[in-house]
Formats: sequence, C-alpha cells, structure tokens
Amino acid sequence: MKKYLGPLSKDNPILVQTLGVCSALAVTAQLKPAVVMALSVTVVCACSNFIISLMRNTIPPRIRIIVQLLVVSFFVILVDLLLQSYLYDVSKMLSVFVGLIITNCIIMGRLEAFALSHKPFPSFMDGVMNGLGYGLVLAVVAFFRELLGSGTLWNHQVVPDSWYAAGYLNNGLMILPPMALILIGVIIWAK
Amino acid sequence: MKNFSNTYIFLYITALVVVIAVVLTLVSTGLKPRRDQNKQAEKCQQILRAAGHDIDRSKAVEAFSNLAEPLTEDGRQYRVICADGSKGTAIRLDGKGLWGPIWGYAVVSEDGQTLKGVSFDHKSETPGLGAKITEAAFLKAFEGKKLYDKDGNFVSVRVLKSGTASEIAEENRVDAISGATLTSKGVDEMMQSSLHSSPITNH
Repeated sequence: MKKYLGPLSKDNPILVQTLGVCSALAVTAQLKPAVVMALSVTVVCACSNFIISLMRNTIPPRIRIIVQLLVVSFFVILVDLLLQSYLYDVSKMLSVFVGLIITNCIIMGRLEAFALSHKPFPSFMDGVMNGLGYGLVLAVVAFFRELLGSGTLWNHQVVPDSWYAAGYLNNGLMILPPMALILIGVIIWAK
Repeated sequence: MKNFSNTYIFLYITALVVVIAVVLTLVSTGLKPRRDQNKQAEKCQQILRAAGHDIDRSKAVEAFSNLAEPLTEDGRQYRVICADGSKGTAIRLDGKGLWGPIWGYAVVSEDGQTLKGVSFDHKSETPGLGAKITEAAFLKAFEGKKLYDKDGNFVSVRVLKSGTASEIAEENRVDAISGATLTSKGVDEMMQSSLHSSPITNH
C-alpha cells in the first residue's frame, strides 16, 4: 500500500511533478467545484490508467499518444454525460472544465510514465492516488480562496455579519486566478 | 519493443475508434430523455424563480403548469402568477457573458413598469466571479426596480459599477459584481436589448 501513497505528498502531481496547474487555477475559487473536479479527474485518471494498462502490449508505440487520447476522451465524455444526467447542478457548475479534463497533463503524464509499463491493478491505484493528490492541493487552495475571497465555505457563510459591520472586507484578489498561482507557490515553498 | 506492421496499426486504431463511438452513442442516446427532462425542469424552475417562487427542481414542472401559461408560441413570454399573488409577464433574456452565453427571465408587472424579479444563468462564467450572477444576493437587487425613468423613457435596469457617479436614477440601476466587470456588462446589455426587443404584450 505504501508504494501508492507517493502522489499524496512527496510525489504530488501538482507540487512536485507540476502537472495540471492550469485547471488548479481555474476551478479553485470555491470549494465545491474544486472537490467535484478532483473526483472527476480521479475517476478519469484511474479508469484510463486501467484500460491503457490492459491494452499496453497491443498498442503500437508509434500511435500510443493517439490511443491514449482516445481512451481519455472516452472517459471524459462518459463522465460529462453522467454528470449531466444525474448530477445536473454539479455539471453546470463545472461547465467547460469537465471537457478540459482531456487536456489535464496529469492524466497523459501518468499513462505515459506508469500505465504503459505496469500491470492493470497497480496502474488503477496509481491513477486513484494521483487524482487524490491533485484533489488534495485543489481542496487546500480552494479552502483559502473561498474563505478569504468570499467569506464562505461550501457556499455557506462562515465570516459573521458582525465582522463585515466592523469593517472587515473580503479579499477580492483571492478570487482572481493569479492568487491561486501564488497560493500554490506558497504551498510548494512551505512543503 | 515489438514491431507493428502498418496494417495492424490501421486496423487497431479503426477498431478502437469504432468501439468508442458506438459505446458513447449508445450511452448518449440512452441518457437523452433524462437530460432533456433536466433541461425542461430547469427552465420551469428559472421562470418561477424570477416570479419569486423558490421551488425545488423535482417539483418545478408540476408547479409551473399551475402557475404559468405561455403567451407567445416561441416560448419567450409567459404569463405567471408571482409569489405575492399578483400577475406578471415572464420574458426571456439572452446575452453574452465573458466566456459564453448568458440568459435568464425577467418578470415584469402587469402594467409593464416595474420589474418583479429576475433569474439568470450562464454557460461558462468563472465560478466565484461572473458565476455570481445566478446568486440570490445579486438577483434580489433587481426586485422592484423601474423600467422607465421619470420622463417616461425606457431605460431598462442598468447594471453599473457601485459608487460611480451616473445620471441613471437609483430606481433604474443595480450594482455590478466587483471583479466581474465584463459579465456584469453583459447582463447590463442583455437587460436593455432583450427587454426592449420584447414589447410586453398587453393583457
């Protein structure tokens, strides 16, 4: 089990491999979309890792990137359709970012670096753990951005009205994407 | 590394594409009724929300059939009973946000002078910024605003940066969302163009 835990800390996809930073900036203004995005990425990453690993001995190396893209797109469209049918609110909240999971470098990165050379089960676990490692960073960044930027958490107000009455202001910079980059930078530095 | 022939590569990729296309088509077709249902329910909920009713989406379609009836055949105007018991006209709004389309419904009082309420939605505005146009705090500001100025000219309800000096009277404007200038501007333009181009049917 221990060998799978790397992506959560010392081999974290965002903090160490610096992959998937772009989407980490886009969906972390609030906690809820960040968590759903992280779960979607985890599902897509784990499933495509599993499938590519099953197919790894039959994939011609010259077209392996195209094959990977096809499998990843397949799962992303599947996730998008399922969200639209069963979790309509969430799918609306994530809007274009679900489709953009296809371009998330973590997924292609793990397929290339792991799934192509490992058995299906370890590949699946690798996908789950990298998704969670990504999700962990997203959740931490979104926590601070939503708390300091909007005074809410999971859309519930946590900063009391009396603070606002006393002159407390939400930090508008927090909800802008550059602040996410700065926060991720701070986390990388603190680590 | 194994050597794969060109024929193998062609057959391999073709088979893969066909399999994926077939599966996705099946899933998409199978789930279509559910997605359409969600969209229809959402539209009903949106119109009712503009009229001041806070109704769960699962009950929206049923409530809608009791509270609203279409005024025009194109589905852009509805006659609705508002939460306060008065009648109003719900008018479809269409506009452009920062990243994609924004739309919504405005419910206008029977005399066509006052806004009873609005609801907005968007395709891809930034969460925490432009996406705030769907939140109650922003929508609430529109309630009771006037569509005409003191001289009787149509001004619609403007969305303007708070604190800026302006000739637009307080009763004709609401504050824009800070940090979402372009989305707010989109709402501003939408309120003007959509309401102006849909003369309210007299009834």
